[in-house]
Amino acid sequence: MSGENTVREIGHDEFDPKGTLALILIYFGVLSVMWVFMYFVEFLGNDLTVLV
Amino acid sequence: MNIHNYEKLWLVLSMVLIIGFISTVVYGATAVGIEMVNDEGGTIDSTALEEDERFSEPRVEKVGENEYAAYVVARQFIFEPDPIEVPANSTVTFYVTSPDVIHGFEVVGTNANGMVVPGEITELTVEVNEPKEYGILCNEYCGGGHHTMEGKLIVVPEDEFELGGQSDE
Amino acid sequence: MSEQLESGAPTFLDKFPDEAAVVRAALWSSFIALALGAVFGLIQALHRTNVLRLIDSTDYYTVLTAHGVLMVISFTIFFLVGLFTWATVRSLDREVVDIRYTWTWYGLMVAGTLMAVVAILGGFVPSLNISADVLYTFYAPMQAHPLFYGGLAIFLIGTWLAGADWFRTWWAWKADNPDERIPLQTFMVLTTMMMWYVASIGITIAVVGFLLPWSLGIFDQINPLLTRTLFWFWGHPVVYFWLMPAYLLWYTVLPTVAGGRLFSDPLGRVVFVLFLLLSTPVGIHHQYVDPGIAEGFKTIAMTNTMFLLLPSFLTAFTVVASVEHGARQRGGTGLFGWLRALPWRDPAFTGMMLAGLMFAAGGFSGMINAGMNINYLIHNTLWVPGHFHLTVGTAVALTLMAATYWLWPQLTNRRLYSRPIGLAQVVIWFVGMGLMSNAMHVMGLFGVPRRTAEPQYEGFEFVTSFGSITELRLQLAIGGTLLFISTMLFVINIALTSGSPKLSGLGEPLSEPLSTADDSPEILDNLKLWFGIAFVLVILAYALPLASIISRGGILGPGVDPVPMIVEPVVATIEPTLGRLAAAAGSVVA
Repeated sequence: MSGENTVREIGHDEFDPKGTLALILIYFGVLSVMWVFMYFVEFLGNDLTVLV
Repeated sequence: MNIHNYEKLWLVLSMVLIIGFISTVVYGATAVGIEMVNDEGGTIDSTALEEDERFSEPRVEKVGENEYAAYVVARQFIFEPDPIEVPANSTVTFYVTSPDVIHGFEVVGTNANGMVVPGEITELTVEVNEPKEYGILCNEYCGGGHHTMEGKLIVVPEDEFELGGQSDE
Repeated sequence: MSEQLESGAPTFLDKFPDEAAVVRAALWSSFIALALGAVFGLIQALHRTNVLRLIDSTDYYTVLTAHGVLMVISFTIFFLVGLFTWATVRSLDREVVDIRYTWTWYGLMVAGTLMAVVAILGGFVPSLNISADVLYTFYAPMQAHPLFYGGLAIFLIGTWLAGADWFRTWWAWKADNPDERIPLQTFMVLTTMMMWYVASIGITIAVVGFLLPWSLGIFDQINPLLTRTLFWFWGHPVVYFWLMPAYLLWYTVLPTVAGGRLFSDPLGRVVFVLFLLLSTPVGIHHQYVDPGIAEGFKTIAMTNTMFLLLPSFLTAFTVVASVEHGARQRGGTGLFGWLRALPWRDPAFTGMMLAGLMFAAGGFSGMINAGMNINYLIHNTLWVPGHFHLTVGTAVALTLMAATYWLWPQLTNRRLYSRPIGLAQVVIWFVGMGLMSNAMHVMGLFGVPRRTAEPQYEGFEFVTSFGSITELRLQLAIGGTLLFISTMLFVINIALTSGSPKLSGLGEPLSEPLSTADDSPEILDNLKLWFGIAFVLVILAYALPLASIISRGGILGPGVDPVPMIVEPVVATIEPTLGRLAAAAGSVVA
């Protein structure tokens, strides 16, 4: 619905969500770093890991 | 179906993350050798623990060259034996069970963490290294005194360690 | 400048007054549960951190049971049934088949809730002999009063009948519109309910098949691992029962509120089908460190769980792209600058955005929980509540509150009492949750347990690598207090709205998606197919583990006595009571 604040209408073929792509790539980076840190530093670096 | 190219890219990246997470876990299970608590501990009659040779007297036993078994009972609201004493630089397998309700067995500040379910025996094998004192706590609600349920795991220097040195009154 | 000039359109209340009445009733039930749950939450936050102890520590567990049940059973699910009634009727543009049937299932849900809540709160009154100090998960052999299990069963039946109501309404519409695709909101409602039916199998067998008869004394024994496993059969998909209403709002309402259009209707359908298929065959990931379940079954659950990340990842893209569309239609430019063009003064918008942002973090802690062996690090520690307060506690709860600011005027024909207070409320929630949940995650990493009234032990200290335990406790207490204030601001704002004048023209039509249903394969609308596959997947995931548990331990257990979390077992009171009645009757007759 175009409200009073719509400056321009953007249709399906004119829209490329560049900002979304940028944000989601940042999220990908954050997830990757956090996972590696949590698994290899916090978890494997912790005491008394249950082994076979 | 029309999917925007950027979203197709993200779909691929999502799969990379998912496969990456699964691969890390598999690495931990294989290369590092981490085993999950499973069904190999066996079952037991929780109303008759005193008839079981292991749990009628919770204790630590030597079972190999440098291997020990710790038979532990978790009950409202204590762990037996308390403290659990094992020698440094050994492999310890905990066998934990409960005669009453579900408890948790957590060696605080470590990865030794498991559920204790009446009727089942929880088996966890860890390598203990230098002498240290760890707290043990119950991390599954087990009744009004749950927050008082704690114990101790003491890794004793090898030359000071004695079987049967712990009291479990 | 007001964002909410009257659109001039009729509201849901104007078009469907009977249905609007049920939706309002359901939402009020939801808000009452939220408010009461928040009081209990505050008590807990101050108690376990040793900031202020108003109650006995044994009573903490009564409070915790009430908080859990009120928040994740009552608050969330009453909101769902109200929202789904609105969404179905609105998107099909048609009344329900029989409004009396609708009020009946709502009545059952209220009755069930009251039964369970009486059982729980009875724990504060020892002389009553009724209690249910078993927490939201009610693991056997801890035993609650039968009223607790009975109340849950009746509540569940109410939800099943609600689903049938929406299916009936859809079938009636389909007869009149045989060649049309299912409208997106109705599609989301129906797929969510099919997931709920599959999930309900586990908890129904646990409660009706075992726990209720056991609490009535019909069985002496029970297999705790079996009922626990059946609980988690349902216990994981229930989180999607909480989440999918929030997703429905993010997909179908948020784009309009942002000034834009949904990026893709087809992807919305795909996401909901994926949830239907994958939500249930994963429950064993709550049992990674349980004895009695082979590692192979845990590994299968882990793999399914990791793939269950996919619909959420896709949602992140589709929803953010839809919001970006709105921003650019409002004149926003640049790679990130478009964010400034969004209606941040609108509490409905900001609340949903903050909820989504927090979900990105909560999703990560969930990925860790899912990682099978890394679960050893955080199992049953305070990390776990840290995680779920971000997900159900914010992604869901904050979205539902934010959406209420948008929806309530269309259900009442009254403007919200105060938009600035609404905006303050959502921001305070975000800040409070940030503090509380962060403290919980960190303390969990140091081994601090969850579900514990006094996590201060005599024999040892928690060792922290950064921050002290005292600082972290304070952070938790402050965060929890802010959340309580935020909840009160929300409920009071809605309550005061009843005093606003009635207006007309407050309708908010929803925008059309950029990519419509016609762009998607018709097989997506083949609900029978997806239900069938979901059913097969859950059988595959659970048949062998359950068979193994039963064959090893017996269907009624290898010898476990019940531990009643009540003052006296119910069965033991029945005979003396009958005896007294008989004696009284006898003395009247004689």
